[in-house]
Amino acid sequence: MTDDTQALAQGLSRRDPDLLDHLIELYQHRLYRYLLFLTGNPALAEDLFQETWIRVLERGHQYNAKSKFESWLFAIARNLVIDVSRRKKMPSLEDLGDKDSNQPFDPPDEHSISALQLLVSRENQQAVQLSLLKIPAYYREVLLLRFHEEMALEEIAAMMSTPVSTVKSRLYRGLAALKSALPEGAV
Amino acid sequence: MTENLHIRAQKFFAQSLVEGLPHADQSWLDQHLHECADCAREIASTHELLHALRTVPVSVPRDLAARTQLRVRLRAQESAQTSQGNFLLWVITGFSWFVGVLSAPLVWRGFAWVGNYLHVPKLAVEMGFVLWWAVPALFAVAAVLHQKGFNISPSRGPN
Repeated sequence: MTDDTQALAQGLSRRDPDLLDHLIELYQHRLYRYLLFLTGNPALAEDLFQETWIRVLERGHQYNAKSKFESWLFAIARNLVIDVSRRKKMPSLEDLGDKDSNQPFDPPDEHSISALQLLVSRENQQAVQLSLLKIPAYYREVLLLRFHEEMALEEIAAMMSTPVSTVKSRLYRGLAALKSALPEGAV
Repeated sequence: MTENLHIRAQKFFAQSLVEGLPHADQSWLDQHLHECADCAREIASTHELLHALRTVPVSVPRDLAARTQLRVRLRAQESAQTSQGNFLLWVITGFSWFVGVLSAPLVWRGFAWVGNYLHVPKLAVEMGFVLWWAVPALFAVAAVLHQKGFNISPSRGPN
């Protein structure tokens, strides 16, 4: 346990407002991207972003500094996504809790896609982004954590409370699913 | 070159991306890619795919961080006030319990004397004494539930 994470844990425990401001600023891009990849819905991602930080405030005393802060943060965000998907009965997000389900992800509505489309500029990136929406959310999640966040397999497994073998198999299947979801000639 | 070698190359490549590859297998893969244009092309395309995935630009909505910071600060203030209120409630409850325990024998004697003087049945005196004890506690529970935002109205349905 480093001094930094220890200090972070102490600050979270006493609900230090300046520390929280700093953390929100620091992790805004990574957390929002994670939530957007998971939900495919910018408005929902925004709501969950705020709700995640409220949880960080309220449960800061539970951060024990044994894990990386970002893993703990993403785990909170992930649980919120699962809660919302259960409440709203969104099948694609429900799949996050279902280890071996192979149900494909259907984008919720045209508006969500077009909103996401605005976020991408290059042709390949657009193709990848749209293909991501076609694969199950639990594949999107591990692909993002591994190849975008560059998290270790063990960190991802700890964050998702699943065995490393499950993470590996989702990564293999996710890569294959993403490649097959790409339109002909893209990338 | 047999089909199995291509499949093996694809498998090794995926493994190198996900969990890393032992040195010997990596050498075999490099050698194969050197000789097989199809596999090299396929792997280059996967590299491009991953590059595109890594560089997908996602812009955070304007002011999202500032709005979140404000909301978090407001919630922190709200919680601080609530916990201050809770502390006061605990102090008052503790004090009233302490006074209640200390004064119980005296009050019991008072109830007995009044009951005897007014010829009230013993059961009514005992019930009065129990109420004297229970009512403040019930008020305290109601106050705590109210503060925690419990809705005890029976008119609302499950949805």
